[in-house]
Amino acid sequence: MKFKAFLTDNGVNLLEKRFLPALDKMGRICHLYLTRDHAIFLHNLLNGDGVQSIAQFRKESLFEDYRISSQNEDRIAFTIDLGLLHRALRSSVSICGEGGGTTGDRLQIKLVKKLPPHSRQPMPFLTFESKGYKSAVIQDVPISKPLSKADIIELQTALDTAQDLPQTLVQVHDLLQLQSFVDRLKHVGDLLNVSITQYGDLHLQVSTTLITIGAEFRKLRVLGVQVEVPDGDRVMSAQSRTESAIQREEAMSVKVSMKHFAKSLHCHFAKPDCAFYGIAAQGSCLTVIFQFFVPGTRQTDKSISLHCRLPVLDTESS
Amino acid sequence: MSSSAIEPEIADIVCQLDNVQGMVDALSSVRWKRHQEAVLELSEHGIVLIVEESRCLQAKVYLKSELFVSYEYGAEGRPRFGVSLGLFVDCLNTFSVPGHASTIEIRYPGPDMQLLLKSVDSPDACIYAELRTKIPDTVSWDYNFEPAGSTPINFTVKSAALKEAIDDLEWPGASIQIVMEPDPPCVTFRGEGHGDLQIDFMYYANTDLLIAFQCDRRISYRYKYKFLRATTSNIPSSVIKDNRGSKLTIGRGGMLKVQHLVSVAKSSIQNSHIDSTGHQYQPSRIAYIEFFVKPEVDDENPVNDS
Repeated sequence: MKFKAFLTDNGVNLLEKRFLPALDKMGRICHLYLTRDHAIFLHNLLNGDGVQSIAQFRKESLFEDYRISSQNEDRIAFTIDLGLLHRALRSSVSICGEGGGTTGDRLQIKLVKKLPPHSRQPMPFLTFESKGYKSAVIQDVPISKPLSKADIIELQTALDTAQDLPQTLVQVHDLLQLQSFVDRLKHVGDLLNVSITQYGDLHLQVSTTLITIGAEFRKLRVLGVQVEVPDGDRVMSAQSRTESAIQREEAMSVKVSMKHFAKSLHCHFAKPDCAFYGIAAQGSCLTVIFQFFVPGTRQTDKSISLHCRLPVLDTESS
Repeated sequence: MSSSAIEPEIADIVCQLDNVQGMVDALSSVRWKRHQEAVLELSEHGIVLIVEESRCLQAKVYLKSELFVSYEYGAEGRPRFGVSLGLFVDCLNTFSVPGHASTIEIRYPGPDMQLLLKSVDSPDACIYAELRTKIPDTVSWDYNFEPAGSTPINFTVKSAALKEAIDDLEWPGASIQIVMEPDPPCVTFRGEGHGDLQIDFMYYANTDLLIAFQCDRRISYRYKYKFLRATTSNIPSSVIKDNRGSKLTIGRGGMLKVQHLVSVAKSSIQNSHIDSTGHQYQPSRIAYIEFFVKPEVDDENPVNDS
């Protein structure tokens, strides 16, 4: 089992400034899954009922001289502490920076087994090796034992299932506005009702015995199955509008944990260019897909993808 | 078509407010603990919110109709209803977007006697809330405030200084004596408990702190620290920033009235003017906050207006 690669400047920038801070908020510990073509950060795919998040990078978007080999179709997966990874990356970058950016100051990352101090058992590490102008620094980030063949197959299966797209997706432009709203809503209740119509309405609502607060975002861009906005629904209240859309089977509604929803919004640290919300078939989960543009264009960068799946607490769909 | 098409009945009140944060500030200033029930009283002149504790402390927030962009009153008499103050404030907070002036509509009653709120800025992004109301308890006990004598006894002090003084008195705690003396004009806060602490506001020494003073005889009353503290514990930062003053009046029997002014002016500089001291000022856009604190009645000599 071998893995060795050099992080590109773009890769460092993506991870250090954007993805690691965002992913760290999703949960300290995640799986890092390396294949021949991709590096994937996965949260809660194998275990737990938390928010699943999947951040997938084509190897070229992070690395050069990417070499991987294992007896398991060149796939390696392990768990890693994102806080430690972020710290190691940050300090390696600062050392690399000392050289003034001349060629040859490359940041190498590789999988090693080492004997930690005061121990007789060799342990696996993800090692960062950076050479500065006057110094070279090696940083070892401890990782779990690599996953067994059976576990990797399970992980791959979970990953394949998680790629299913909802029928209808609506685009939210202003994630910050949504976040500031959800931040204030957090005090009110623990359950968030999310409804999405096929004509581009996203309706969020918290309801307790004493209070109901909601927000309705209308006329959003729709991807996938779409219907015309029904006539005369302007005069209705947000609630009755959503209810009648559910009755006509033009909308779905699910309940998710407010905490999960707030957590998924932390993905904005990764600076996505847009976000889409959708409810999976049979209301099995709420899916949030973040898109990234190729810098300087409005074209989707297909080499990077990030999406979250929020477990549904109590189905109430059409 | 307007949204009123589905509201066949005339509401008791429908009003619009363009400074949600100002209203949040005003209502927060009477929040001294987590769970508080408030009574809202509606009239053609505006909305009054009343909070009470232990029959010793009462606070009122006056939201005059001029504070609202529009104010339509359609009720007979003066409808009153109870809400949870904490929920009401949290709920209003949801509408206040930092760096963005939002206008909301407040309506009462809803189909189930709820208090209804909704944002009205944008047809494509609407926030709404329904707050369950309660039938208030029997008419809340009235804090009859009457002047102590022919000359009113009061002083006005910078709100920041008042808050600081009361915060400092936490250390001796328990009960605080307020003494006013005409000659030389001076207000003293004295705490005796775990230790002694005395804070003097000398009128001639601190004219910038003690802005006004009116007192014709020595007067002294004791108040429970926790009630005194409630009067300043949540003064909004805008009051301190605007360098406003608070007026304290002692009425008959030692009833203490504390008044604060909270700006509910729209944050934009348009249609406001800058007064001589450099403060932005929209004269009618002020919420009045009043606290009434009953004095402690100890031993046989409770009242000592000497």
